[in-house]
Amino acid sequence: MKILIIEDEKALSDSIVEYLTTEGHLCEAVYDFHEASEKIELYEYDCTIVDINLPDGSGLDIIKKIKEKLITLGIIIISGRGSLENRIEGLEIGADHYLTKPFHLAELNAHLKSINRRINFSGHNDIILNEIKVLPDERRAFVHDNELKLTKKEYDLLLFFISNKNRVITKIGLAEYLWGDFMDTADSFDFIYTHIKNLRKKLLKLGCEDYIQTVYGVGYKFDLSIT
Amino acid sequence: MKLLTKTTLNFLSITLFIFLFGIVAFYFLLRGQVDKNVNLELEKRKASIITQLHSDDPSNSIPPNPNERIIIDVLANNDSIPDYVYTDTLIFDDLQNRYIPFRKLGFVASFNNQRIYIQIFKSLEESDFLIVQIFLILTILVIVLIVSLLIMNRITLQQSWKIFNQTIKKISNYDVNAHEQFELQKSDITEFEDLNRVIQTMTDRINSDYLNLKEYTENASHEIQNPLAIINSKMELLLQSGDLEEKHYKAVVDAYEASNRLSRLNKTLILLARIENRQFPESKDVVLKNIINDQLELLEDLINSKNITIENNIKNNFSVHMNPFLAEILFINLIKNALRHNIDKGEIIIHQSSNIISISNTGPKHEMTSDDLFKRFHKSSNSPESLGLGLSIVKKICEVYNFNIEYKYDEMHCFLINFSS
Repeated sequence: MKILIIEDEKALSDSIVEYLTTEGHLCEAVYDFHEASEKIELYEYDCTIVDINLPDGSGLDIIKKIKEKLITLGIIIISGRGSLENRIEGLEIGADHYLTKPFHLAELNAHLKSINRRINFSGHNDIILNEIKVLPDERRAFVHDNELKLTKKEYDLLLFFISNKNRVITKIGLAEYLWGDFMDTADSFDFIYTHIKNLRKKLLKLGCEDYIQTVYGVGYKFDLSIT
Repeated sequence: MKLLTKTTLNFLSITLFIFLFGIVAFYFLLRGQVDKNVNLELEKRKASIITQLHSDDPSNSIPPNPNERIIIDVLANNDSIPDYVYTDTLIFDDLQNRYIPFRKLGFVASFNNQRIYIQIFKSLEESDFLIVQIFLILTILVIVLIVSLLIMNRITLQQSWKIFNQTIKKISNYDVNAHEQFELQKSDITEFEDLNRVIQTMTDRINSDYLNLKEYTENASHEIQNPLAIINSKMELLLQSGDLEEKHYKAVVDAYEASNRLSRLNKTLILLARIENRQFPESKDVVLKNIINDQLELLEDLINSKNITIENNIKNNFSVHMNPFLAEILFINLIKNALRHNIDKGEIIIHQSSNIISISNTGPKHEMTSDDLFKRFHKSSNSPESLGLGLSIVKKICEVYNFNIEYKYDEMHCFLINFSS
């Protein structure tokens, strides 16, 4: 995907570019409102990542401009302000996701993946990864064409793993993706462990390779390179 | 002592002092004046008696006066009597059967070559009576004057002090967080008006300082999010790189977890500040049963991991007018608290009776008071990961809506919220 990143904090922008480039995306970064307006006038992007508070304008105005121009473009807001009104305002003018800073790059990536599926394979967005097949619209998953009976959390977990395959995923990143930030980390680590244990058991039972690797002390990795 | 009592006492003591001395002085002055008059009359009488003595015409005699007595003595040659003397005496009156005060003028005159001593007595009964009358009237007048002055003084002062008392009451109820206009009543007394003005300026300054500080904290909290986002993203990239040694991994993970905790803390403090600043204005009727069930579902993992049984008898139709998001936060924090401090295979009872919802949980007894529990960053030793802000958020939300929240321990830990604000 071709992605425009509008974020005035250069260091943060660099991190996003680095993470997304290794995912195979084509990233362009701009650091202020003026530059961003120019870019969206001149070029087309599959997805835009916008910070609301820019030094010379509001990211919301950029979103409005984008919406005037092209309807299918994916938009993700990243903002320091995470209140409900801010979220609603952002989503109402047409953003697909609203991430509150600080966010996890893995989470941003997972959202991008879902936007990507929506834009590029409208309707037929099955995810096929070796023996695993996921139908995101129906929230169903298959191994060797046998359906996996997953709980809601296990399904979310699997999708998150697939979106961030071959990457180290931190426990905190997982916890916040699954529960939001109301759960205290110590508690959620135990549940993550339980959910992953169950998910792995179900995958193995249907003859799936054991892709879920524990990275000691850090978290997990959905490692496709083991085969 | 009240200022009013003090001024009244001062006023009373000085008026009584002046009144007593004044009345004594007045008595003597009046007495002197009356005596002078009587003397003059006696003098006139004397003159007329002398004239009579020297005239031969008996018809010329002055008619006797009932208040007057005249005694004439013939003097021997060698008797020496002062020529001219006024004295006061008491003379027994047979008619009234009592002594009556008289003023006497004694003088020597010659009659037919004889020296005679004439004493004219004039009754003082009438003038004494007059003095007493004047005295009585005067005393009554002065007392009435003093009393009415006192009453008037009290009334005007009380009226004026009323505004002062209202000011005092307003100041003692002053709450910088109250979100209502602080206004003092106008007074026609310059001093009170000055006081009001000074207080008004002071509270205005406190308010603006407080608002500035709040704005500053809010902005600071939001600005902190940016560097935190950078730290987190860099750490995540570092963890992805794969060429770290194990001890470096460990260090990065520890730092990553700490910065995550910091950002959670920051987000919670922003939330707390937003609740305090009443930034959740939109309210609607929230069905609490739905809210509570949603939160229980969210916390399912936590409930199952501790094998906790939940008893929930909230009525379907019980709704409260408040912000739905705050209602969620209120209950998730209360239920989370009830879970955290629970025992394995414990119990949580969510009970409703009229407008009161109680959330009780089993758990070890502790010595904390209800004030301690709602304090920020207050946490028990068995949950180091907790931020210690959950219950203070609960308390803040209750304050915003004037719900009364109480904690009590009776076999179970119990939080009671009265939703009839």
